[in-house]
Parts: sequence; structure tokens; C-alpha cells
Amino acid sequence: MGNMPPGMGGDAPGENANPNSKGDGKGGDDDKKKKKRFEPRPRTTGNRRKRRTVPTSKCKLRMMKLERIKDFLLMEQEFIRNHEVFKPREERDQEEREKLEELRGSPMGVGTLEELIDDNHAIVSSSMGPEYYVNILSSVNQDLLEPGSSVLLHNKTMSVVGILEDDADPMVSVMKVEKAPLESYADIGGLEDQIQEIKEAVELPLAHPELYEDIGIKPPKGVILYGVPGTGKTLLAKAVANHTSATFLRVVGSELIQKYLGDGPKLVRELFRVADDLSPTIVFIDEIDAVGSKRYDSSSGGTREIQRTMLELLNQLDGFDERGDVKVIMATNKIESLDPALIRPGRIDRKIEFPMPDAKTKRHIFNIHTSKMTLGEDVDLEKFIMSKEEFSGADIKAICTEAGMLALRERRMKVVQEDFVKAKEKALYRKKGNIPEGLYL
Amino acid sequence: MAPKSDDKPVELMAETETKKKDGKNGTKDGNKKRKDGKKKKNDSGDVIDDANAMSEEDKQLKERLETCVSTLINESNEVAVTPAIRLKAIDVIVSELRSATSSMTSVPKPLKFLRPKYDALKGYYGSIAGDAGVDGDREMVYLRARLGDVLAVLAMTLGKHEERESLKFKLQGTKDYHLLMTLGDDASQDDLGSWGHEFVRSLAGEIGQEYNARVVSGADPEKDGPFEDLLAMVDVIVPFNIAHNSEAEAVDLLIEVQRLKKILDLDSIDEKNYRRVCMYLIKTADFMSDPDDYAEVLESAYELFVKQSQYFDALRVALRLGNEDAIPSLFSLCSEDKLMRKQMCLLLARQRINYVVEDDDDGSAEELNELIGNEKLSEEFLKVAQDLDVMDPKTPEDIYKSHLAETGGFSRRRDAGNAGVDSARANLASTYVNAFVNAGFGQDKLMTPDNEWLYKNKDHGMMAAAASLGLIQLWNVEEGLAQIDKFLYSSEEYVKAGAALAVGILSSGVRNDADPTVALLDEHINGDSHIMKCAACTGLGIAYAGSAREDVMELLLPIVEQESAGPATMLEVSLAGLALGMIFVGKCDDAAGGAIVQRLMEASDEELDHSHAKFLCIGLGLLFLGKMEKAEAMIEALKTIEHKISKFAAIVLETFAYAGSGNVLRVQEMLHQCAEHLEEDAAHQMAAVIGIGLITMGEPVGAEMALRSFEHLLHYCELPVKRAVPLALGVLNISNPEFSVIDQLSRMSHDPDTEISQNAILVMGLTSAGTNNSRVAGLLRQLSEFYSKEAGHVFCVRIAQAMLHMGKGLMTLNPMHSDRMITSGPALGGVITLIYSCLDLKSTLLDKTHYLLYYLTCAMNPRMLITVNEDLSWRPVTVRVGQAVDTVGQAGKPKTITGFQTHTTPVLISAKERAELGTEEVLSVSSVLEGIIILKDNPDYETPESNDK
Repeated sequence: MGNMPPGMGGDAPGENANPNSKGDGKGGDDDKKKKKRFEPRPRTTGNRRKRRTVPTSKCKLRMMKLERIKDFLLMEQEFIRNHEVFKPREERDQEEREKLEELRGSPMGVGTLEELIDDNHAIVSSSMGPEYYVNILSSVNQDLLEPGSSVLLHNKTMSVVGILEDDADPMVSVMKVEKAPLESYADIGGLEDQIQEIKEAVELPLAHPELYEDIGIKPPKGVILYGVPGTGKTLLAKAVANHTSATFLRVVGSELIQKYLGDGPKLVRELFRVADDLSPTIVFIDEIDAVGSKRYDSSSGGTREIQRTMLELLNQLDGFDERGDVKVIMATNKIESLDPALIRPGRIDRKIEFPMPDAKTKRHIFNIHTSKMTLGEDVDLEKFIMSKEEFSGADIKAICTEAGMLALRERRMKVVQEDFVKAKEKALYRKKGNIPEGLYL
Repeated sequence: MAPKSDDKPVELMAETETKKKDGKNGTKDGNKKRKDGKKKKNDSGDVIDDANAMSEEDKQLKERLETCVSTLINESNEVAVTPAIRLKAIDVIVSELRSATSSMTSVPKPLKFLRPKYDALKGYYGSIAGDAGVDGDREMVYLRARLGDVLAVLAMTLGKHEERESLKFKLQGTKDYHLLMTLGDDASQDDLGSWGHEFVRSLAGEIGQEYNARVVSGADPEKDGPFEDLLAMVDVIVPFNIAHNSEAEAVDLLIEVQRLKKILDLDSIDEKNYRRVCMYLIKTADFMSDPDDYAEVLESAYELFVKQSQYFDALRVALRLGNEDAIPSLFSLCSEDKLMRKQMCLLLARQRINYVVEDDDDGSAEELNELIGNEKLSEEFLKVAQDLDVMDPKTPEDIYKSHLAETGGFSRRRDAGNAGVDSARANLASTYVNAFVNAGFGQDKLMTPDNEWLYKNKDHGMMAAAASLGLIQLWNVEEGLAQIDKFLYSSEEYVKAGAALAVGILSSGVRNDADPTVALLDEHINGDSHIMKCAACTGLGIAYAGSAREDVMELLLPIVEQESAGPATMLEVSLAGLALGMIFVGKCDDAAGGAIVQRLMEASDEELDHSHAKFLCIGLGLLFLGKMEKAEAMIEALKTIEHKISKFAAIVLETFAYAGSGNVLRVQEMLHQCAEHLEEDAAHQMAAVIGIGLITMGEPVGAEMALRSFEHLLHYCELPVKRAVPLALGVLNISNPEFSVIDQLSRMSHDPDTEISQNAILVMGLTSAGTNNSRVAGLLRQLSEFYSKEAGHVFCVRIAQAMLHMGKGLMTLNPMHSDRMITSGPALGGVITLIYSCLDLKSTLLDKTHYLLYYLTCAMNPRMLITVNEDLSWRPVTVRVGQAVDTVGQAGKPKTITGFQTHTTPVLISAKERAELGTEEVLSVSSVLEGIIILKDNPDYETPESNDK
């Protein structure tokens, strides 16, 4: 119930269209001369903190409170239904809309709100250039007005007659994962501890916040996944995205670096605002070292901008404002190069290491990748599993794929041991980066 | 106990706890919305069936368990497998189950491995359960009992939920343990707690369901017989819960099986946790729809407090229940604890309860009665005022601040010029502003210096001016009387009437041995003068509100019953009826109620058409304030009246009776009333709207939801209903200027409809009463300019300003006190009188009966917090004051206030604020810091060692 806008003001702005208009007509001139005391309005709808029903633990009191809320909502429904019969809403809305149209006039201009003077007046700049001191119609939802927003202006008087609600930054909306990835936990070989940790830190607080409350702790805000390349950090994040019904936003660190000054931090802010609006949300920032590296003195403007982006990120993670149901997952290969402020407890409460797989895990990963392949009789995976070279999960996948390709090249319908041996050599060769072994020994 | 235990998800582990929960549940909630196909895939992902993936340990465990199970079942009936061996096997299973711990998000292994065996075990259990031959064999019975336990645990996740298998097995197991007992085995009953909290929780949930199922199928809930086995289980679970910090669950279970009284016999409730239990009970009571349940829950809390010798808290609960009979017994219980008695008296004084402490030997009764009688209230209030340096009297102009207005130059000239040109109504407004702002301070700039102001008014204005002296001298009976005395014998009828009213106002809520009000008003009420009678009735109503004094009733009854001789008498009748209602507020007094109903029934149509006839109904309603179903007979009686007022009266009575109850059904009824589209004769609809406010007040959830309903009313309904909406908003937010409400009122205050705007303006004053809220002050100033040409609006603005700055910001009108737990009947009555006079402003406040405003006196109370020594001398200490936080039912010791500031007493407390002591040096006698608080030294306090030697 909590995130419904208080009242229904949004639906029918014409309802109380001109209570103030009389006053404005008289007071308008005075206002220009006199500096009026301006009381900032606390935002009512902008701050859509969900009303929490306490206690959060499961008990009869909570149930009864929720039932009471439900009862009231049912009564509202009944009431509205009765009245709709009497006079259908659409008809009324139509009337009111017409009234509003009249007030708005047409055509309308578009301008930018520069400054709010008081409840009824503002300074706007029109697209043509000049700035105007104008009235705000009372039919405009005050809570959505803020400096910088695009507003509709009356063609003659230039009064603010409406707001162009810009949705979230398109940059951010792309980040939203609409289609869940196909990888699930089942596709992860091993990493049981890591899965457990990430579930406890990210999924459980969103699904069962009361458990944490019962014990009296605040759930972790975020985790960082680190480890050498190819150990499954991104894969695990995908599995989380696959598994959760929470909104999943994914960003790559480098996306946060923007061309213009201030755009990066703005994007971060926007990202977290959207996350808050759509909460519960999981934000996944891959390759965080792109923005999160240690700060150092630099004269380059670019570096400083990146650092500022990180500072904004720091603030969003654990700043002055309380974040609601937003959990952050970060992934990096180089945790040692990250700024210590970024990964301090409170911002990132859990650091989950992804080690190179051990024999058991390797076996599991091989099984996952070969389960859909037709293997020859002679294939003995144990050999690879027990070999002394270090394989990461990605290496194993590469070996399997490569072996399949080799089989394909020879038009065999089966993958045989030889393919695997060759594939392994190839994969490892690539990994060693063509450096002759033992040169620097 | 979780009310809906169908998703038993996860548990946090305690030391020996068993995890037995399907891992996929942990995230099932989050996953529900996903497609089924995908879910299946996830499931297989969690449960690693693949033999390859299983580690050596796991394999061993699985084998071990499987062997145990086959030994236990003993399918091939091998003779070698003796019951002793089978017992061993079950021991292994039990210990594996118990010792298994794993993460919150995955399935404990033993449970996973036992899953395929569940049906086999169940089948086996079924075979031995029916076997009578087993009953004699001790070992077999023991085996069966243990197996029952194991199955109960397994059934928690595997069994079908609606069959309540877990409980079934557990009950059978228990039966077997009893059987063992009779067989002479001392094998101890299985310890429920050893299976972990989650098991207990699930069991508790099933007990609740089973109980309901049995009641539905015809078992008598009153008798213990049909539920013996369940109750035995409850007796184990409840102490376990309480011992493990889940008081809420214990209480829930007892409510579920309708045996709440059992909580009184529990030894495990001690000084550490009784408060949590009681707070939970009190909060839960708000949501009990059945009045009997409501009473039972609160009574349990009362008994618990008494058991813990917390008599002050017990008194709070008793007052909440409206159970004044409990007061004498509470006083006798704490006859040793003088401080406690004093503190209780102070609470009674705030609640305006006319209780007289019986004389006992040590002569303390006199002091206590003095406290209940509020005799020192004026003294303390003035001391606070001095401490806060607000003694200087304020003129109305100080309040209007017209120099800040935009047309300042002009209005200043007008106001400051000679008063001769002022209109009568502006003067009247100034009289009220002066009275309310300087209320209780004993000095002002209009009335006390000389008589000049009095004679600037005419007729009713003079009466109001004379009466304002009473408000200025509020609570200070002796001094006030001396000042009023001279007017009592004035030749001007109106001055005399005003003085009579002043006497009543002066002693509002204060008991005085001499009882001057009755003595002085006696002659006037029986006199011939109409205006004197009106004044005397109102005066009595204000002075004795809530006191239930029989002798005052004797005075008023003849007025109510008198034969009609024109509209003037009807006014007298109505005012007397209202006064009766105030005096017997919430007392359901038969004599008073009978007289008023009788009068209503016998009244002619012209009489009932009188604009003040409504107050007769309100007087009747007040008698039943908060008494719920006790008003029903009266409502039926009212319905027989053949006049449109009968509808109005019935709704008034009903909403008053359910005031503060949060009863959803009544709210629904009121909304139905508003469904009709009436342009005229809609007084009952207005009463219904105000009624929604009255019913939902005091309980935050309902109040918030009611606000939403009001939005709909504004949206859909006709004018009369809309007019009442601001009034209902006012009822919900007395002395609590919340931003959004003020915002809404401010919008309505510009409504083109005169009555909506006037009501909104007055209610702005009511919601901000005594807060000096600068935002409201600014809004009102703007309004005074905006409406400068409309006398009615300006008067409303002035009155609103008077309320806003009431008592220079030291007072509140809020009837809820003692941490918003108790509602003071007289205070609510006073506010209601104002609200209902707004229904028809033109003929009440804006006409000649503006003195109804003085009924607000009954609601006026200092919003101070003073800390005093044992001898009631001041003892300033530091206190923290902040926004109250609802902490009921939360784990640990959460903070009760947020965003606090530290002050030294005396301090002012606003609505929705709470205070706590900022020092450990002292302890407070009362659990709630409001009003006058007695402190005692903390015996455990150690002065911190100072660093300098």
C-alpha cells in the first residue's frame, strides 16, 4: 500500500484547479517587488519511502495491522464502486480535463525551470533564451517541480501549466535486465560457499528482511566478488539475476566514465535513484576497477573526473541518505588496486573470493560442460583434472569447446581423448601468452 | 508463531538447532512470479542429485541413514534386529538431524537424504501405531514415541500442509510418552525445544489451525476437554517461547487457542520481559474487533502489571479500559509506596477523574486528593511559564502581527487607530484571542488592568469579555474568584452572565473544597434570566466536565425537562443537555440519558428544528463516549423519533460510542451513509464523516487509512459531506500540525464554498493548537488578508490564531495522553463540541452562542514535563525528547525515540513526541514521562570518577 501516491491528486489535477488564483492575481505584483519568505516544501511524493508496518517479524499484531489496511482498502473500493455507478469517473475526468485544457491554452511552449521562488512563482527559461518570472498554476503537481525539470509554458503568459516528466535517464534504463539470463546456479560448478555467501548477503535480505531484524542486525548492503579471471564472478552474478524476482540492474564500470564533466557522477546518481524507485533492486557493477582504483594526485582532468565518479559511488553506497532495498554486487579482478574507502565495511560488507577450482570443482565443471557433448569411449577427463596445471572455469570451458571444434573439423560425431589433449595444449598456449616456458627461470 | 506458516522459509540458527527446511523455500518467495519451467530448473540446481557431485562424507552419511532406516523398519522381519538395536538406529537418525547445521539457504543434508524414506517411515509408523500388541511392550512404545518425533520433524517440510501431519505425529508421540509413564518408565518427555525454534514455530501454527478446525467441527471452545492434548502442548511451547525472547509468539499462540489467561500463571514472565509482553498485548488490543477479546487482552495486561507491582502502568491500562472500579483496589495495593500513589493521583488528575482517596491513618489522603483535584496545577504551570520566560502578557496584535502582512501599512493604521470604529465582531475576536493566548497566566493587557475593554463590547460581546477573565485565571480558583467577584453583581445582565461563565471556566477540572461554582451558579440556574441560565449551564458543564457529580445533575435536569416556550427555552434545554453530557462523559448514566432522550422524544418539530437542538443529541452522545455496545439500546430508542434529527442523533451516538475503537465495520457503515447524494438535510452525513475521524482516531494505521478515505469523499461527494471533511481531519490531528494535513487544509481554506473554507480555517487552528507553529501562523496571516473583507472568515482566522498560540504555546488540546494510550473523555468532549458547532457556524460561533468556544477549556492541558522530588519540589534533570518510535514486538532493545534533543526539565512535549531520562542518577516513578513526574534516586548509580585528582 505504501507506494501509492497519497490521495489521488495525480489523477485529477483539475479537482482543485484554482483555489489560489484569486490570491495570485492580487499578490502577483507585490511579489516582484518584495522578497517573500520562501519555505522549502518537503517532498511528499518524491520521497516514496515505503511505509513500513511494524513489527516486521511475523506475528499476529502484524497480521492484524495488515488486515486492517486491507479492510480499509476494500471499503475504499466499495465506496468508489458505488459512486462510479452514480457518475462514471470517465465522464467527470473528461469534464475536468476540458477545464484544464482551457486553462493551459494551446499551443504550449517548453521551458526549463530555473528556480522556485515560492509556492506559486518560479523563474523559467524558455528555449528561445530569455528567462521569465512566472506563475505556477495550482493544477501543477508541486511535488514534481524541481529546478532543472522541463515544464510546459502557456503560450502568452508563460505560466507553468504542466511538467514534462522525463523518465529515468535512457542510459540507466538500458541497464535494466529485462530478460533474465539463462545461467542458473545449477550451471555453476562448485563455488558452494560463494553461492551461499551471496545468497545470504543479497537475496535473503530482500526476500526475508525480518530474519535480520529478529536477530537485530542490519543486512549487508553489498558484496564484492574478486578473483583471477575466469573463475565465475560474472557467471554467479548472472545466476543471481536469473534467480531473483527483484529488479536487476547491471553496469560495467567503464560505462560510468562519460565524456562530459559531471556526467559520470550524474549517471551514478541516476542509477541509484532508479534502483530505489524500482526497489527491491540488485545493482551489479562489473569491472569496478575501471572507476574504483585508488585515488592519487593527478593533473589530468580525465583522472580526476573518474575519481569524482567514484566519490559519488561512495556516497551512494553509504552516504547520508538511507538506501532502501538496494543491494550492490561488484566484481573485479584486482581487489588490491581498489580504493580502500570503496570496500570498507558498511559499503561493501562481504568480500567473496573466487579461487582457482580444486580437483573436485574441476570435475564438476568438466561434467557441466561435457554433459551435452557426445564423448568417445576413450575420454578420460580425470587426466585433465589431476594435471598440475591451473585451470580456471573459463579455461575448462575453452578446452571443452575447443575439443568440440576439433571434432567438428574432422567431421566426427564424437569427441575423443585426442581432441581434448590438443584442445588443452591450445588453450594453455594461449593462456601463457606465447611466452616460452622457463625463459626467466 | 507465524500466522501463515505455509511458507516456512528459513531460520537463523541457535546453538543446537536443527535445520530442516527445504532450501528452495529460502528464495521461493522471490521466485514465485517466475515461470514454472524455470523454477523447476532452479530446483534441480539446488538439490545436487548427481552422484558424482557427492562428496565422500555425504555418501557415508547417506548410507548410514539408509541403513538406520532399513534397520528401523525391519522389513524382512529378521529376528536379530531387536527393539534395542532399532532404538539405536533411531538414536542415530535423531542425532544426525539435530546436529545438522548448514546455511540458511540450503537444505540440511540429513533431511535431504531422509526425504525419499519419508513415506516408508510413515507407513511403518502407521503399522505399529494401530497395533494394540505394541502397547504393552515398553521398548516398542518408546520406539514408537521416538519415531513419532522424527516423523513430526520430517512432516514439517514434507507432509501436506493442510493435513497438519507434523502436529498429528507429535500428538501421537506425546500420547506414547504418557503411556510409557504409566508403564513405569521414567524416560523423560522429549524436549520440544531441542528440535529448534523453527519446529516449535511450525507446531504452534498447526496448533492454531487444529484448534480452529475442532471448534468449527463443533467442539466447545469454553471447555478444556476436547483440546486437552493441544493445550498440553501449548503449556510447553509458551514458556519455551517466552524464555527465548519470542514473547509475541507466545501471546499469539494463547490468543489463537483463546486461553490468554494462562499467561498470568506463567513463571517465566519476570521483571525482564513483562513489559514487552504487556506492550504487545496493549498494542494488539487495538486490533481486536470483538469487544470481549479487547477487554480480555487488556485485562491480561492489567493483571500482569499488577503482578509485577507496576501499579502506575496497571492504572493506565485500567483507564484505557475505562474501568474506574479498579482504582480503589490499586490504591490499596500500593499503600506502602507513597510515591507511586502520588504519581497515580497525577495521572488521574490529567484524566480528570473525580476520585476521592479514602482517608487512612497517616493523613496522606488530603495531599493525594489535592493532587487529583489539580489544585496545584496553576502554580506549577506558572512556574514553568516563568522558567521559560513567557510570563509577559500578549495583546491580540502581538498575535495578528499585521505589520508582517503585505498590506501591513494599511491594516496597522486601522488596528492601531482608536477602537471606536472597530466593529463588534473584531472586538469579540480580540477578546477570544486575548483569552486563549493568555489562558492560565493570570495577567493580560485587556481585561485585568481595568474595565475599559469590557465596556467597548456590547451584549454578547460583553458576556464573552467577562467570561474571558475566567480563562485568563484558569485553574487559579482563589485569585480568579476575587477578580471575577465584582462582575457577578454588575447591573448589566450580560456582564453578570459572563462572570457566571467565568466562574465555571476558572475551575475547569479543578476541585476545590469550597466548591464555588455550584454555590455561585445555583441561584442563576434557577433564576428567570434567559442569558443567565445559558451561561450557568455552560459554566457548570465546563467546570464539572467528567466529574459525574450527582448534585450538579440535580441542578441541570429541571432545565432539560422544562416545558418549551419558544426558541429561547430550546437553547437552554440544549445547553443544559450538552452540559450534562460533558459532566457524565462516558459514564452511561441512566438518569441523565433518560432525561435527554425523553426530552428529544417529547419535543415538537419546531423545537427539533432549532439550530441548537443538535447539541442535545451531542450531550446524549457524550454520555456514551467510547462505551461501544452500551449505547445500542439508546440508539434504538432514538430511532423512534419522527424527525430528521433522529438519523443525526443515531449516528452521533454510534460514532461517539465507538470513538477511538478503530472499528472497521462502523467506518464502513459511516461510508455507506455518505454514499447518498444529498444537497439538503444532510446533517447525518456530516456527522458520519466526523464519525469516521472519531472512530479511527488514536490508532495510527486506521487514522492514516482514514485520510485516504477522506480524499475520496472530497472527490465524489456533495457539498455537505465535503464541508465535514476538514472537521474530520481536525479530529484526527488535534494539536498535531502534520505537514500534509496542514497542506490539505490550506488548500481547502481557499475553497469557494464559504463553509468549507471557514471550517478549514478553524481546523487549521485546532490542528496546530498550542504549538506556535510558524508555518500555520504564516498561512493564517495570509488568510486574514485574503478574506479581509469578509467578517465571518476573519473571525474564524482570529479564532484559529488564538488556538495556534493558545497558552503562548505551553498548552495542548490533545485528548490522548500518557504516550497516546489513554483518551481523556472531557478533553475529547470539549473538542467535539467545537467541531459540531462548526457544522452550522452561522448560527453558533458566528452568532450569539460563540461562548461554546469556552468548552475548549476542558481540553486544555499544559504540555509540560516537570520532574519533581519526592516532596513535589522541582528537580531539574536532563531528558531527551524526540519523535516516538513504535517498538512493540521488535527484537532486542530498540530505541524508543529518534532525532532527540537533550534538554533540562521543564520541557515541552509535542504530540507524537516522547521523552526519556537523560541521566542514570535518578529513576522515574512513572513509566511515561509526561506532565509532572516524580523522581527518586537510583540506588545503583555510581558517580563517575572524575579525572582530576
